[in-house]
Amino acid sequence: MTGLKDTLALSIKRHRSQLCWLGAFIIFLFILPLFSGDYILYMVMRMAILCLLSYSVNLLLGNTGLLSFGQAGFYACGAYACGKVLLAGTSLLPGIIIGVAVAAIVAIILAFFCVRHTAIYFAMITLAFGMMIFSLAEKWVKFTGGDDGLIGIPRASLNFFYIFNIKMNTIPAYYYFVIVATLIAIYFIYRILHSPLGLIFQGIRDSETRVSFVGISVRKSRLICFTIAGIYAGLGGALFAPLEQTITPSTSHWITSTDPIIATLLGGMYSFSGPIVGSVVYFLLKDIIVRLTMNWMLILGTIIIILVLAFRGGVMGAFHAYISPRLK
Amino acid sequence: MKKMTGILGIALFLVFILTPAVNAAELPKVIKIGGQGVTSGSKADYGHQMIMGAQMAVEEINNSGGILGSKVEMKFMDSEIKAAVATKNARYLVKDWGAHFLFGIDSSGVSMALAPIMPELDRILIICHGATHKVNEEAIFKKGLRNTFRISVPTYQDGTLPAMIFKDRPEIKRIASLAAAYSYGYSAWEMFEKTLKKYRPDVEVVGKAEAPFLHMDFTPQLNALMAAKPDLILATPWGGEGLMMLRQAILLGLFEQPWFKVWFQCMGGSIDMAEGLTPDVKAGKFHGKLWATARYLWNWPDTPRNKAFVAKFREKFGRFPNYSAANVHTAIYAFKKAVEQTKSLDTQKLIKALEGMKVQAPDGERWIRPEDHQACYTVPAGHYVYDRAVCPNAYLSDLVVIPWEKYYRNPPDYKLP
Amino acid sequence: MSNFIFQALNGLSSAMFLWLVAAGLTVAFGVCGILNVAHGSLYMMGAYFAFTSFQILGLNFWLSLVFALIGAGIIGFLMERFFLRRIYDQPIEFQLILTFAFILVFDNLTKMIWGTMLIIPTMPSLFQGTIPIVGRPFPIYNLFIIFAGIAVALIIWVILNKTWWGMKLRAAASQREMANAIGINIPMLFTAAFVFAALLAAIGGALSTPIRVCDSGVGGAVIIQAFVVTVIGGLGSLKGAFVGALIIGVIGALCTLYVPFIELFVLYLIMAVVLIIRPQGLFGGER
Repeated sequence: MTGLKDTLALSIKRHRSQLCWLGAFIIFLFILPLFSGDYILYMVMRMAILCLLSYSVNLLLGNTGLLSFGQAGFYACGAYACGKVLLAGTSLLPGIIIGVAVAAIVAIILAFFCVRHTAIYFAMITLAFGMMIFSLAEKWVKFTGGDDGLIGIPRASLNFFYIFNIKMNTIPAYYYFVIVATLIAIYFIYRILHSPLGLIFQGIRDSETRVSFVGISVRKSRLICFTIAGIYAGLGGALFAPLEQTITPSTSHWITSTDPIIATLLGGMYSFSGPIVGSVVYFLLKDIIVRLTMNWMLILGTIIIILVLAFRGGVMGAFHAYISPRLK
Repeated sequence: MKKMTGILGIALFLVFILTPAVNAAELPKVIKIGGQGVTSGSKADYGHQMIMGAQMAVEEINNSGGILGSKVEMKFMDSEIKAAVATKNARYLVKDWGAHFLFGIDSSGVSMALAPIMPELDRILIICHGATHKVNEEAIFKKGLRNTFRISVPTYQDGTLPAMIFKDRPEIKRIASLAAAYSYGYSAWEMFEKTLKKYRPDVEVVGKAEAPFLHMDFTPQLNALMAAKPDLILATPWGGEGLMMLRQAILLGLFEQPWFKVWFQCMGGSIDMAEGLTPDVKAGKFHGKLWATARYLWNWPDTPRNKAFVAKFREKFGRFPNYSAANVHTAIYAFKKAVEQTKSLDTQKLIKALEGMKVQAPDGERWIRPEDHQACYTVPAGHYVYDRAVCPNAYLSDLVVIPWEKYYRNPPDYKLP
Repeated sequence: MSNFIFQALNGLSSAMFLWLVAAGLTVAFGVCGILNVAHGSLYMMGAYFAFTSFQILGLNFWLSLVFALIGAGIIGFLMERFFLRRIYDQPIEFQLILTFAFILVFDNLTKMIWGTMLIIPTMPSLFQGTIPIVGRPFPIYNLFIIFAGIAVALIIWVILNKTWWGMKLRAAASQREMANAIGINIPMLFTAAFVFAALLAAIGGALSTPIRVCDSGVGGAVIIQAFVVTVIGGLGSLKGAFVGALIIGVIGALCTLYVPFIELFVLYLIMAVVLIIRPQGLFGGER
């Protein structure tokens, strides 16, 4: 027990400045509603949801080297399942939980087909499954509402066995819920990536053969990784449904899958905080460009091209390479 | 006690006197109106036409003293025809940019997504193009999402109107559908089929085909339908899709078949299609069998007001006004009228003012029905002709005018007319 | 039955467009090792150039084809020389995202240059009309497309198998280091291969103009179908791209006839099943 305490103390000492930043960031998130308008809060929620989706992508990409073009499919599974449950008139928590669960189940099933593939083949099979989910969402009109989608999903209040009952109909209330859920999710992913399992994931990225020589099943690890990624995408979707109160099939289209990929690359795929930074930067970037010009595609495209050619490590990569050393 | 009552009376009196003044002072120097529509991808022209219509309205209003002295400022954003983008835009426009009023919106899906969040944003939205009847029948009437209005015709125009026209053509017995494979296409066909069958039990549906969004090769669909030899095809794919579908139908020789009588292209009267169809209409490729309607036609009615609008628009932008332009123009004027009536920007008051309002559009008066917030007005249908003396583009002629009362569904039961 | 045959024939003509796009995608992937998401945009540029020369400059159909090829070739050259060359050795995600960014840029540029009006030139009089097949009118233009597609396939086959340049290309595709060692200028060969791929896309785009509207969203719509085709046939295999295009074109058309409701689902299901059973595709070599 003392051993654990010592290591903890040591790691706190070592990462003191980082922890300070983290604490400041979390406090900032929590006091944000006191001085900002609804739109800022809405943006932060969208960023948080994109961030979850980016972690879902980066779990596969940054850790096991697999690029998925189908994460929007799981995202949509979570969103549709959550929407369906909330439309049935439950409170918020069952909706979120079932949303995540459905996404997890779909991910487990598809994982069996997907994990045998690598590189381009993995990208293509996830694309195929994602688009199959898209065509289901569009055509299974009775269940999904077809092209119109699920409409008027209530932002149900958060209650727990009569112990508490918090109304979610205002933006700030739901903001706290999304932020807390996202922070918990990010904490869990941090723990996973810094556990033996996380090391295995990274081992697979660097060299599959070496990992299998140690006697670890690459396939099984990928399966787990794929499922966790699906859960994160599903959580993003489940949080998205009550926020927008409408879910349309385009949430599952492959174009939606490109957003978190761009965000991840923007933030830096080899850095833990890459997806967070990427989501924030990508969202702000697009929001600002869209306000300034009708030709947002041209400018966004140019920025991405420059980024891929010049800053492959993303924002966090550039930070670690150029800025961080000078701070010390 | 008496003193108190006196003071109270004076105070009440003062309040009474001052209220209108205070309200007028409530209006900001600049009234901000926020629009959105699709300005990228293959349907981009609809959004660009909206921008033109809005620019024109804003300039006219500002040149004639604004709204009760307040200048109007407009911002227009790209909805990308995606619900998530449109809701984000709406939130940005209202909560961050400070829009007092929203307008635009291109598709049924986006309209349905925005209606539920408008009460939360506490603003009015006037839909100018998205046509699904679910907006007025379900979202506004049944669910009571009363911040949303629609200034353009719903799918009654696409489905019921053609049925009312062709029920009187006894030679049309075999009908077929080439639907856009989403709710707009499905509901237009359903209304057409039901209405026509009600009047004409002898009509038979011989074929059904559908094409997803952004479809490019319609020959398989056309072939499947041609095998059944229908008298009439009702087609809903719009914009560029509609254009290439018609070109492919020409190539297949559909319009030359003696058994084929009418192709009804629901929103075929829109300007982008008219421009694209011109060479083929000029060459007589359609043999007068191509019918269409729209949500506003530049050549109807033949009133000085409409002529002036079209002339001004052409002078300004070098093109004819599409329905999305005319409807946005009207929506902004409806908002102006509501603000002038209530002398306030209070959403609830504006809703009250808009309910039952009669607003002047280029094509005449539109009545906003209080129950379902649907603008009621007539748009005729006709078949395509070309005459250089009238217009450089092909246009709809021999217009069949059926008053809206005859083909709109009515609250509260929304049965077929 | 005649219905079935007729529909299959129609599927064949739409398959040829898929083939022309997929062929270029395959050449770029097979030789340069790059999966070019913006390949559909090259198709779109071909269409815009053909339209411009046919409708605006008033050139004839064949000259417009040449004009489109030159235009798209130049764009392909610039793309490869200044951008793609730098990411050949990068992981697949960077290639996909870089080329995806090109879709955004091309879409926006075409909108700025050609506007948002719908573009569809008149059909050249040579191809107007129909001929009867199994008792039904079949468009002459669609017949022309089928022959053009097969002709392009033959030309590619001759170039790759009967010319010195084709041999160098095949050598570079299979053994890059070895080809370099025997004195083949690899960077130049790659540029040439990418331009060749762009030309194939441009032919598809230019041939599509009389029957398909050209607008700024075409690139993204075309590419995803081409992906399905190349994956089914086998990435990097031209034979596979041809067969894959036939499968998707004909099955797509038949689905429209019999089960229109699930057409899209069926296409992706075929793609997924092929990937599960035979990840390298029907004609792909070893992974």
